[in-house]
Amino acid sequence: MKLLKYTFALLACAIFTNCSIDNDDNEEDLSGETGELILKFDNSVGDQDFIFETSYSKSNNESFKLTNVKYIISNVRVTDTEGNTFTYPTEENVFIVSELNGNNAGEIYITLNDIDAADYTEITFGIGIDQERFALGADGQGDFLDLASEEGMMWSWASGYKFVRFDGTFSTDTVTDEPLNIHMGSVGEALDNYREVTLSFPNTVLVREENSPEVHIVADISKVFDGATTVNFADGYDQVHTDETETPIIASNVQTMFEVHHVHND
Amino acid sequence: MRYIREMLLVMVLVFSCSESSDIAKYEPVSVEVEMPSNFPDMVYNMDNNPITEAGFELGKDLFYEGKLSSNNAIACAFCHEQAFAFTHHGHNLSHGVDGGVGTRNAQPIQNLAYQTSFMWDGAATHLDLQPIIPLTSEVEMNETLSNVISKLEADTDYQDKFARAFEDGEVNTENMLKALSQFMVMMVSSNSKYDKYVRNEDNVTFTALETDGLNTFNNKCATCHATDLFSDQSFRNNGLPINPLLDDKGSYDILENTEDLYKFKVPSLRNVVVTYPYMHDGRFTTLEAVLDFYDNGAIDNGNVDPLLLREDGSYGITLSDYEKESLIAFLNTLTDTEFLEDERFAEF
Ligand code: HEC
Ligand code: HEC
Repeated sequence: MKLLKYTFALLACAIFTNCSIDNDDNEEDLSGETGELILKFDNSVGDQDFIFETSYSKSNNESFKLTNVKYIISNVRVTDTEGNTFTYPTEENVFIVSELNGNNAGEIYITLNDIDAADYTEITFGIGIDQERFALGADGQGDFLDLASEEGMMWSWASGYKFVRFDGTFSTDTVTDEPLNIHMGSVGEALDNYREVTLSFPNTVLVREENSPEVHIVADISKVFDGATTVNFADGYDQVHTDETETPIIASNVQTMFEVHHVHND
Repeated sequence: MRYIREMLLVMVLVFSCSESSDIAKYEPVSVEVEMPSNFPDMVYNMDNNPITEAGFELGKDLFYEGKLSSNNAIACAFCHEQAFAFTHHGHNLSHGVDGGVGTRNAQPIQNLAYQTSFMWDGAATHLDLQPIIPLTSEVEMNETLSNVISKLEADTDYQDKFARAFEDGEVNTENMLKALSQFMVMMVSSNSKYDKYVRNEDNVTFTALETDGLNTFNNKCATCHATDLFSDQSFRNNGLPINPLLDDKGSYDILENTEDLYKFKVPSLRNVVVTYPYMHDGRFTTLEAVLDFYDNGAIDNGNVDPLLLREDGSYGITLSDYEKESLIAFLNTLTDTEFLEDERFAEF
């Protein structure tokens, strides 16, 4: 019985592979062709690479050291030279970028499979969980709930996601190594802190079946505190959770932290 | 890859009749959810989680399952007992794993599909995600989602139950939460004497005392305890003196907006006779004590609901002895024994 199943599956596989080969005689025609796109996130602080436990100074004579740098990326989509947008399948389109999962160079990889082959010029993604996804409840979340919970990206006292986590300590003129916890997220429909960014590629990204381009995205953590708005730990921005005045400011700052540094079209 | 999966599915379907295996299969037998004519519209979106017999049964098993907690002993039902409209009988503050004590009185589980938010402070806004709070809270079940799933995955009984309840058959968090929601969505309490009276069913009539109580209720209580859910689902401060031991600031803790200080969800009063003790911290053991509080126990804690401001400048709701007596008679008509004894929701 099992054997039969697999034989049939292999057969089906062969048939479908054949079809796509048949279509492939015109080299300009990319229809039906898909490839991988790799997003490489690299956290930095200004022009330095981010390193755990290193003290970085910010405005107002304050400094911070972090032990945890995580954020949720979702709704990734790319737009090609003709203006067509390819959106990654909703159910899989949510990721946690954690510095702890970085390689020795502190780079965190997200591999997107089955992207339509095309020449892409820009990328858009959200930071956090949008209202529509949240309203689905458990539906379509698969294992993301476990992952988010395991990564400490869900509150245990409220049902919601922490969109970002920057944990560590801070120092000011008057205090040294006090706890710093920036856990910003949305609260139901009452407070929507989901934000999106669109970044142009410095050169066209060519997704092909045999080509897996890499987009190197630098996230400047200093922008969390010195972004669109400058905030001071001394003024209460050392503990940010669901507060309705502080969190939108952090959300807008986080929105300014991303930049496409370069692209590899291998 | 997707094609292969679909093909396999076709294969499985085609050969399933000839297959004499004992592997459980998806059983999409849908169940009707009660939508009482005197209720407002349902809030829960069942399109995202259609209720099936097998899903409901799985949800019930999970609700009564100790494995959902770190010491394998504290089930949801430990704090939510059916006979008391699924509240934690006899406890003003619920305790969980290893005797850890929480800070709030357990709320009833009833008519949740009609609610816009959950918990005394509204900390949960989607029913599917609410269980993550008790599951992962240290003083309640003190577990992690992935560990609960590992325990369930190791149990062949649960493997079969998940397979019957969900198309993808997977034992995962999504399906566990969906099953719990299916169970809770089905828990509709709508057959109290009051319901039958307003729906003109079974020739139910009110006594003069009950009718007077209903009128007093409509005049003095129904602005907040509104609709036939007996809650307008807003968060309000009803003038309870602050308990300094807990200093529970209610929904303030969420957005840290001072306008929310000491505001709590207006509770439904359905089955209120059995859900004692009362208020977010369970400070009152009897309904008499609650009414005495409204009459002369409320204090100005800085943010009391303006609806409770009396002409003399004090806060509260003036109630005569007869009004209290009739209100209690009326509140007794909200007890729904069919729900409290419904075998579909019972452990055994
Ligand atoms: C240790 C006791 C305890 C356990 C175990 C427990 N709960 Fe609760 N439950 C409570 C308390 C206390 C509240 C009110 C909490 C608050 O407002 O902060 C509550 C509230 C709720 C609510 C909100 C009801 C409303 O009207 O808003 C739901 C739903 C709920 N619990 C479901 C569950 C489920 C499902 C489980 C098992 C996964 C569970 N509970 C396990 C004590 C418990
Ligand atoms: C201004 C709005 C408001 C009015 C008017 C009001 N209530 Fe309440 N009621 C509340 C709120 C809010 C709570 C929960 C308070 C808390 O726990 O902090 C509550 C709690 C209760 C409870 C406790 C229920 C439980 O499950 O713990 C009872 C019983 C009750 N009210 C009955 C009444 C009656 C009877 C009247 C009319 C005499 C009335 N209420 C008028 C807002 C109101």
